[in-house]
Amino acid sequence: MSLGTVGVLVRYWIKGRFTRATIASLAVGEAFSVIFVLFGSSTYLSFSNKVGLTTGLSEVAGSLILALYIVGLIQSGFNGSGLPVSSSDVDYVFTSPVPPRDVFSAKVLLNSLTTILFGFPPILVLYLRFSSYYHTGALVAVLAGTVTLMFFVIGLLLSADITLSLGRGIGERKKLLRNFFIILVLVISLLPITLLIPEVPGTVAEAARILPNGLAATISVGLVSGSPGTINYLLDLALLSAWLAGFLILGIRLSRGHFYEVLEVAVPGVEKFDKPDQTSRLNPRGRSLWSVVRAKERILIGRTREARALFINAMFLSGFLIIYALSGSFQSSPTSFLFILFIIGSFGSGTASRWIEKERLWILKSSPVSMRRYVKEVFRARIAPLLFYLAPVTIAVGVPLVLSQLGQPSLLLGVVLALPGALEIAGITMAGGMYFASKYGQSSNDDILSSQAQELADIRRFLFQTVINLIIVSPVIVLVLVSQNLATSVGSDSLPELAAGLVLASIVFTAFSINLLLNRAGDAVRRREDL
Amino acid sequence: MQKAASLVQVSIEHLTKNYGTLVALNNVSLKIGSGEVFGLLGPNGAGKSTLLKTLVGILRPTSGTIKLDEIDIVASPEKAKSMIGYLPENPSLYTGLTTLEFLQFVGKIRRVADDLLDQEISDSLKSFSLEDKRNSLVGSLSKGMKQKVALIATSLHNPLVLVLDEPLTALDPRTRVSVKDWIGSQTKRGVTTILSTHDLDVAQAHAGRIAIIDHGKIVAVDNIEGLRKMANAKSDAQLEDVFLRLTEEQAQDPIR
Repeated sequence: MSLGTVGVLVRYWIKGRFTRATIASLAVGEAFSVIFVLFGSSTYLSFSNKVGLTTGLSEVAGSLILALYIVGLIQSGFNGSGLPVSSSDVDYVFTSPVPPRDVFSAKVLLNSLTTILFGFPPILVLYLRFSSYYHTGALVAVLAGTVTLMFFVIGLLLSADITLSLGRGIGERKKLLRNFFIILVLVISLLPITLLIPEVPGTVAEAARILPNGLAATISVGLVSGSPGTINYLLDLALLSAWLAGFLILGIRLSRGHFYEVLEVAVPGVEKFDKPDQTSRLNPRGRSLWSVVRAKERILIGRTREARALFINAMFLSGFLIIYALSGSFQSSPTSFLFILFIIGSFGSGTASRWIEKERLWILKSSPVSMRRYVKEVFRARIAPLLFYLAPVTIAVGVPLVLSQLGQPSLLLGVVLALPGALEIAGITMAGGMYFASKYGQSSNDDILSSQAQELADIRRFLFQTVINLIIVSPVIVLVLVSQNLATSVGSDSLPELAAGLVLASIVFTAFSINLLLNRAGDAVRRREDL
Repeated sequence: MQKAASLVQVSIEHLTKNYGTLVALNNVSLKIGSGEVFGLLGPNGAGKSTLLKTLVGILRPTSGTIKLDEIDIVASPEKAKSMIGYLPENPSLYTGLTTLEFLQFVGKIRRVADDLLDQEISDSLKSFSLEDKRNSLVGSLSKGMKQKVALIATSLHNPLVLVLDEPLTALDPRTRVSVKDWIGSQTKRGVTTILSTHDLDVAQAHAGRIAIIDHGKIVAVDNIEGLRKMANAKSDAQLEDVFLRLTEEQAQDPIR
């Protein structure tokens, strides 16, 4: 292996990947991760305090979360994405006389460096929050963070090794062994789930402690929570290091030969479909133009990763909000209803960004359809699945809240306004997202996408979008904030009428805002010239 | 079954298109006769695609007019667009739709009647030998097949004016033949066709008149014999030589 070649590859990959615009975009992402981690960790600590979770149970919970990461990486390893490569790697690096082992080493080094660089701030914040709660100090938080990052690197190596093992050079017997090993790792990783079954002894869950996720969780959580046992930590750390070394050595061995054919090349904007042939189900006969537009949009959402992503995010959101509700934070402060508004509402803008792709606008712009109407029909098609997922979450969070506030009518009004308000905000932010996508959205399979211009456009869009969306949704939020004062001033007798009037006003405002934003979005598409 | 087209004349007068300070089209005037096949040649970045996008209503002119007979593309875009079929240089399609769904969708937004749409799609898929791909996702088709699907989408509504931007780029020989045949069939129908191409043989074979555009200006417009004279080329000179001479002069004398 030539260290010089590895260095050259890493240096130019970094130059190609990290432009100033990328760094700015990543900084924004990091800031959001930190905020999210602070929210999540505070909720978890509040929850564990309320239900009396022991440190041991926290270690198991941590081990399970890390196990999910491993499951994801194993899946991407088998998909051929364990070593991410771009088409320019294929065109220029794979056709060069650089030995495959150097390419492997450079890829692993780059991926590990970026994981450590961008994973460290949120992880450090997470452990600092825990260490301040348990009074164990900042140094311990740094040590715990380092161990967790070590685990992430082990995960990357495992995924890379699995991808390399897909090559033809590996015999059938070895592949059987590999599959057996992976199944064993998966089963043991997920053993902590058995804690939910009362009859199963707790020692079964402890078995996961021999795996990297169990070891990392035990060391990290143990350190920040101040659990004694230095020798145990050292032994666990030695075992974790052994996993790291083992996967690294295995990867270096497997990368001796030519492995490029097993790598899945990432092409931005190109969706992979499981089945190339599908039943055509647009059926335009007898349907209006706009009904066909909506049907087309629904088919696209259903066949692409979008539907899956929406579902997974909704599940994640449900879990998070339920834990948050159980932690009692809603009851402790009426303004925490705003939290529901923000978390549920922010889903709208997140799902809007994919609706447009610049390179396909020629189909629409060279046809005689009205762009304003087209955008509105797309919105109708896309808001339906969003509400389908969000409404049950809102109800699940809302019903216990309403029941808990029955004795306090002035607080109840806030809850009554906050719950439909969350869905209204989701609608407004989705329309806002569509407007900004119409104005600034770029082609997803253009090379420009990964260049500075696209990233700057994305950052600009993101910042504008956040500010404008916040301004537009502020009346809905203000209504929730002032509801307690309004309820007190009108008295409990007129409360139902007041509630109905405010909900109606809020809905009318939402409909007006969405209509305005979608008209602007249609006009933006009509005026776009960078096609 | 495609019927004969009513003949439409395209008039471009004093068309200018600026992108900020960049002048992409500079006072372009052209008249393209009814049923004529008109070639547009020019080096990369000369303004060919900008001209075609402005012509089909995707870009708004900075000044000047474009009319299909008496219909102004800026004043009556919907009416004008229903008469035009446009094929961009790199057509991007909805990869998550099947071939049939994609064509049904395009037919619908181009206002093709339901009865005609099914028949038109079936006939077109058959003529391009794509019948077995009707339920295949567009994303799973080869580049040549996608180009054929895009061509079908361009002509589903039986346009009176066809605007084709580099229709033969990066196609294999078999697909090139199919596309050339398709262009021939459209011109036989009497469709006014504007064809931008780097393929000089195609321009020479299909186009009655050819415009050479460079730096956003029309350098020359005529049939091949007329262009040879303008370029002071021999009477048997190939279009390639004529093109090089004319664009070379323009490069040396950009003010003209």
